[in-house]
Amino acid sequence: MTLLKLQNVTKRFGGLIAVNDVSLDIEAGEFLGIVGPNGSGKTTLFNVISGVYIPENGHVLFEDQDITRMPTHKRAPLGIGRTFQISRPFASATVRENVAVGAMFGTQASSLNVDRSLELADSIIERVGLQEHRGKEAGLLTPVEKKLMEIARSLAMHPKLLLMDEAMAGMHPNDIDQMVAFLKRIAEEDKIAIVAMVEHIMRAVVGMAQRVVVLHQGAKLVDAPTKEALEDKRVVEVYLGRQAEES
Amino acid sequence: MNSKISKYIPVLPVFAAYGILFIIGRTVPGMWQLVAMLLFYCCLGQAFNIFMGLTGYVDFGYVAFLGVGTYGMALGITRFINWELGGGTIVLGFLLALVMATLLSIAVGAVALRLRGAYFAIATIGVNEGFRFLIEGARIWNGSEGIIFMAQLNQVIGREAASALSTFWADVIVLIIAALAALVTLIYMRNKVGYALTALREDEDAAKVMGINVTKYKIIAFITSACFAGALGASSWALKTPYVFPPEVFEIHYTIEAIIIVLLGGAGTLLGPVMGGLIYGVSKYYLSIFIPGFQLLVFAPIIILIIVMFPEGVIGVFKNRIKNKALAHYII
Amino acid sequence: MVWEQLMGNLIQGLVLGAVYGMATMGLSLIFGVLKVVNVGHGAFIMVGAFTTLWVFNALGINPILALPIAFAVGMALGFFFYYTAVKRLLKGPELATLLATFSIGVLLQELVKLIFGSEFRGYNWVVGKMDIGITVLPMTKIYAAVGSGLIALFLFLWFKRTRMGSAIRSVVEDSEGARVCGVNVDGAYAMSFAMGIGLTVASGVLLTMFIPVGINPYMGGGYTLKAFVIAVLGGLSSPYGAFFGGLVFGLIENGSYTLFATMEGVEPFAMTRFLSFVILLVILLIKPTGLLKAK
Repeated sequence: MTLLKLQNVTKRFGGLIAVNDVSLDIEAGEFLGIVGPNGSGKTTLFNVISGVYIPENGHVLFEDQDITRMPTHKRAPLGIGRTFQISRPFASATVRENVAVGAMFGTQASSLNVDRSLELADSIIERVGLQEHRGKEAGLLTPVEKKLMEIARSLAMHPKLLLMDEAMAGMHPNDIDQMVAFLKRIAEEDKIAIVAMVEHIMRAVVGMAQRVVVLHQGAKLVDAPTKEALEDKRVVEVYLGRQAEES
Repeated sequence: MNSKISKYIPVLPVFAAYGILFIIGRTVPGMWQLVAMLLFYCCLGQAFNIFMGLTGYVDFGYVAFLGVGTYGMALGITRFINWELGGGTIVLGFLLALVMATLLSIAVGAVALRLRGAYFAIATIGVNEGFRFLIEGARIWNGSEGIIFMAQLNQVIGREAASALSTFWADVIVLIIAALAALVTLIYMRNKVGYALTALREDEDAAKVMGINVTKYKIIAFITSACFAGALGASSWALKTPYVFPPEVFEIHYTIEAIIIVLLGGAGTLLGPVMGGLIYGVSKYYLSIFIPGFQLLVFAPIIILIIVMFPEGVIGVFKNRIKNKALAHYII
Repeated sequence: MVWEQLMGNLIQGLVLGAVYGMATMGLSLIFGVLKVVNVGHGAFIMVGAFTTLWVFNALGINPILALPIAFAVGMALGFFFYYTAVKRLLKGPELATLLATFSIGVLLQELVKLIFGSEFRGYNWVVGKMDIGITVLPMTKIYAAVGSGLIALFLFLWFKRTRMGSAIRSVVEDSEGARVCGVNVDGAYAMSFAMGIGLTVASGVLLTMFIPVGINPYMGGGYTLKAFVIAVLGGLSSPYGAFFGGLVFGLIENGSYTLFATMEGVEPFAMTRFLSFVILLVILLIKPTGLLKAK
């Protein structure tokens, strides 16, 4: 059973077509990179999967269940987690409480009360390396720490699919390598499918993703294993323009 | 087992404050009236805090719930007088007040709580007026004449009891309601409800993505807050002054006071409403000696200052100071 | 006969509506540009009413001339409150600006009460009536309606033709883009807020020309709700939408009052007020962005 299936998804805003007839399959435990320049429809696609937008056309199937019109808050207990491009912590709550929220309303919500959620949060916080900030107000963390906290919060949900929006934006190359290694480990250990969205094909995607989907103006341009995608002429064109061909 | 109980320790300072107030009121001559007023304001603050403090939404029509609670008690006493329940009529009045507050909050919430922040505030602006004009316009429950039920109250529980009620026991009931409201606030805070409310207050969209049904939790807070307001109206208004008159019980003035009390003390904190109620009540009492009727003139700029400079209120600022000390466990 | 009655009713409603609409334009302008809901809206109308009262009684000037004075007072108040409070709260939670504008309204009420006392006042400006066959309108109401229309027109031209007007329009479209193009965004916000308040205070003058009695520090409350109904009717962000929303609301209010007056067992005044609240809820339920296509 394919974990997530997008079938001919189209999302329009007035006259603008943000996502254009995109079909995509994501398997459990897969690591997929979605790549594309600004305005190519990546964020909209994520919003469709996480339920912020309802597409005009097409279907979203999660574990064969049609969730196209399902309200956002019902998708988390199914196993769809998401981090944001600009971190969105619950600022006045502590890191521990933030992460615990993920557990309380995630896939195992019914068996996790507040105390057990807090315990679970502690162990995940250690995994991501934020122990010393555990009791700190989330709003006071540095941007990188906030990103880690968001990941921890999503992991606490025990998701089957983790959507990471601009996963590495603004990170130092060293941190990126560490993050990549960390995410790969999580994907393997927890059997989570990770879909990382990035603006450019960078070392991050190359390092992590087995497969890459390239979006251009809302449509799927390329869907191939990473190495092939990198060498695809169309991809080079989209990013570098025709000059690359001519030079 | 130990940690289960220790979670609820922070309610002790609140109970202690109310206890001290009560003792002062009974032992110092002439103080009871002031104490009664302070208890009213603390209770108003606790009830209002359950919604505005925990969700971050402001209900500008809040007084409608106090008004409807007052009507509940009035109707209980006047319409069921033939059931001859004696003191039980008062209980019936409370039940009616709670039922009516719940119904009104569901009716308003069903529309308003689907709306975000500013739109919600706009929707609630007319609720108290709207309900008042419905009563007057459609001549419900005697319309603009209101209900005077002193005679019926005397008949139901006897003149002496009615007098004791209005000078002492009604205020004790207010104290109990305030204490209950504080307890419920803490229970919410320590359970999933509280975490959900904090999340939706901080970032409603992120909360949804984390699996929180924000509308459900907003409604829970809304109805709870409304019920406490209804109970407060039924006791502090109906039982102390046995008449209910639409323009009086739906006056926006009380919503203003509720907002001031919660902001002053610290919105979303447990001890905040107590602090706010005390500060506001005492200030109003003494200001009324020098500039009667103008306490809002003093408080309006203070509130603007608080919103701009100290949005976390007195208790909020205090909590920041005592962050890593033992005291932090008791003051939330 | 009935037909004439209906037409007369309609005209009365439109005349009332024009004034109501103008009274709401400031609210929509402020929300449209700053995304701030001015919950203290009614209090500023009240300030305009008292300005007219003072100007008429103390200086003997007719209310029409009170208009520019009121507008100036409003602009001054607007700039003052923008720089002292509103500006700092723009980036924070929505709750903050809601409560701040609300508290400003309360402050104004109390100040006016302090200066003028809380009795109900009025003034008497007799300039005759106009009989147009199907109905009779006092000239003051006609002046008020015409004044409202003219102000709406001026506003429209101002936004189209002046530099500041275009600057504000660009800020509404895209504040970051405007900033990059060198537009003084903060100045645009301040100006919009001040103009919004100025319009609101000025509308208080026109409203008293319509109803020259019942002027007291707490009169604003009733108008706040009406203004929100109208603003929501007209799209909340557009001052012109507000004007047309006002016309619609004037018709509804006038019509419903007449209707309720014919019914047994209801108080027409109270029921009309209740109805406006119901309309607000209904619109917020079905289309919160307003019934008109706002610009």
